[in-house]
Amino acid sequence: MSPSGSITATHVWKRFHADRRRRLLRDQLQTLPARLHGGGRRGWRWALRDVQLVAEPGEAIGLIGSNGSGKSTLLKILTGVMYPHTGQVDVAGRIGALIEVRAGIHPDLTGRENIQLYGALLGLGRRQIRERFDDIVGFAELEDAVERQVKHYSTGMQMRLGFAVAAFLEPDVLLVDEVLAVGDASFQQRCLDRMRAVLAQGTTLVFVSHDLAAVEATCARGVWLQQGVVRADGPVRKVVSAYRQSIESAAESAAHLQGEVGLLKLELDGPDGSPRTQGPLEVAMVLTSGRQRACRLYLGVSEGTATPIFLIRRDLDLPAGELEIRCEISRLPLPRGRFYLWAGVFEGGNRDVLPWQPVAPFDVIGPSADHGPQGVVCLAPLHVEASWDTARR
Amino acid sequence: MSSFLSTAEPPSTPPPSLRYRHRYRIWALAAAAWGARALIRTLAEREIRVRYKQAVLGFAWAVVTPLVLMVAFTAFFRKAGRIDTGPVPYPLFSFVGLIPWTFFSTSVAQGGLSLISNVPLLNKVYCPREVFPMASVCVAGIDSLVASVVLGLLFARFGFAPRATTVWVPVILAVQVAYTLGVTLVASVVVVYLRDLRHALPLVLQMGLFVTPVAFPLGIVPANLQRAYVALNPLAAVIDGYRRTVLYGQPPAMGLLAVAAAASLVMLLGGYAIFKRLEAGIADVA
Repeated sequence: MSPSGSITATHVWKRFHADRRRRLLRDQLQTLPARLHGGGRRGWRWALRDVQLVAEPGEAIGLIGSNGSGKSTLLKILTGVMYPHTGQVDVAGRIGALIEVRAGIHPDLTGRENIQLYGALLGLGRRQIRERFDDIVGFAELEDAVERQVKHYSTGMQMRLGFAVAAFLEPDVLLVDEVLAVGDASFQQRCLDRMRAVLAQGTTLVFVSHDLAAVEATCARGVWLQQGVVRADGPVRKVVSAYRQSIESAAESAAHLQGEVGLLKLELDGPDGSPRTQGPLEVAMVLTSGRQRACRLYLGVSEGTATPIFLIRRDLDLPAGELEIRCEISRLPLPRGRFYLWAGVFEGGNRDVLPWQPVAPFDVIGPSADHGPQGVVCLAPLHVEASWDTARR
Repeated sequence: MSSFLSTAEPPSTPPPSLRYRHRYRIWALAAAAWGARALIRTLAEREIRVRYKQAVLGFAWAVVTPLVLMVAFTAFFRKAGRIDTGPVPYPLFSFVGLIPWTFFSTSVAQGGLSLISNVPLLNKVYCPREVFPMASVCVAGIDSLVASVVLGLLFARFGFAPRATTVWVPVILAVQVAYTLGVTLVASVVVVYLRDLRHALPLVLQMGLFVTPVAFPLGIVPANLQRAYVALNPLAAVIDGYRRTVLYGQPPAMGLLAVAAAASLVMLLGGYAIFKRLEAGIADVA
């Protein structure tokens, strides 16, 4: 018997039908002759291939990967909702799943009745629910609404209700799937706080998110899934940065630097090679256009995700032919690390004539960023001073 | 490359020796029901509360269906030729048959949809899935209790008293519940795979009313066919047993009841096995 809170998943394989056919009686009858004759080969797609995930009690694991990489499938198998095709899965202790739970909420019942129902679904006894009732209501901020029917709640109130029940379950293993995608900013922060509190009690956490900053802030260990295979498993910062680099190189190869406006040349320079923190960064580029047009050039810097850290823009009067543009960011407000420069040209508001895309990686030399306390997600909205210069070529 | 990265490609197919095996044992049904009794109770309460809140008549609906059918049968057979029910008034005779029938048809109709209507939940939260059809059976059981109270009123109205042989009722009830639960378990899980069946279910249940001795006595089936009939439709022996013991003061027909009990047990155990086998794939297809 493994200690409660530990996760042992070895050689886990899971497959789905490659063709997501409807499973209606009509369809079954149509394919019946083929299947009876031993034919009717079914296409299978492996969603998980030979996945290992072994966690000690109290570990916090961030599960990252692009869409369709098998994160949610793995989480469902750990929850027990889905069974693996091959392999062993053993999750010891009570499992709590912090997920979007409006599915289980019945609109005709009051908030109180729904809390009791949902608590029972998660395996709580009636007395345990009563003991936690005030905490749950307080966390969900539903003191005034708890005796009202849930159909009169707002969407946000329904979500808070569901999270609150799961968050106060006090499980041995907590599985979290993209909770931060919903709810307003203050509720997201409280979800993270609650996760941190649960972690401090020694709960094992598996956290699935596309929000890499939140994963880094919450988890010590990262696991990167790519097309159903574990690509990396180790310290969260290393795993996240390996994952970021892979998305960047994928984005780079997909980039098309030629829209109606082309990007002919792009150079990034610091005073001597790589730019430094709080030092200048010079971007030199050549744009080409088939005709004269008034448009707006955007430059942005990201850390690998599609969300830029900051943006700068410039209205341009592009002539027919080529235009050389220089932009100097006088004090680059970035810590040490690898960043991406994004560029895009838009005409008449939102029509892109050069699609918004990452155009060049660059490394910044300087002090590394300070990390916030666990559970605090840093997003850095920055104001950047910049001066511009254009010259016709 | 540092050690945390893995570039090794797994084999193209999994080793067959590691194939995941579903483990379930027959006594696990009772264990699951007992372990999840709080949940079953809460789910049944939810269903009752929702019905009570949405419908003006609330609990009255529990007795409206059997009462209306009883009145319809009585009126019909008064015109179309009397059914010989001996000393027992026909309304009582049919109502005693309608209570177990309504229990069965409500369980299967509601329980049959209990998984499919909770699919979003089943895909996210783990709980033993048997609890959903079981809760539906519980709700139908509460309806039956309410209907039994009405039966008591009917006894008073017709100046008729239940006989001493009514002590047999728990035995017959066990057969009735076992069969109903077995059918409900199968219906609930099969509907998830073959969605069309949710439309066929009410039709099948309506047909069932006419091939079960609800409006007529079991005696109209030839005696040499009765065992085969009861093996296929244990409810026939259940209804016949209730009438014999409660209304006529006779012991149940032991041979028929034994056949029905065996058939119900097969239905319950087989139904549970089918349920567990198919339940494993619900998250894959739904």
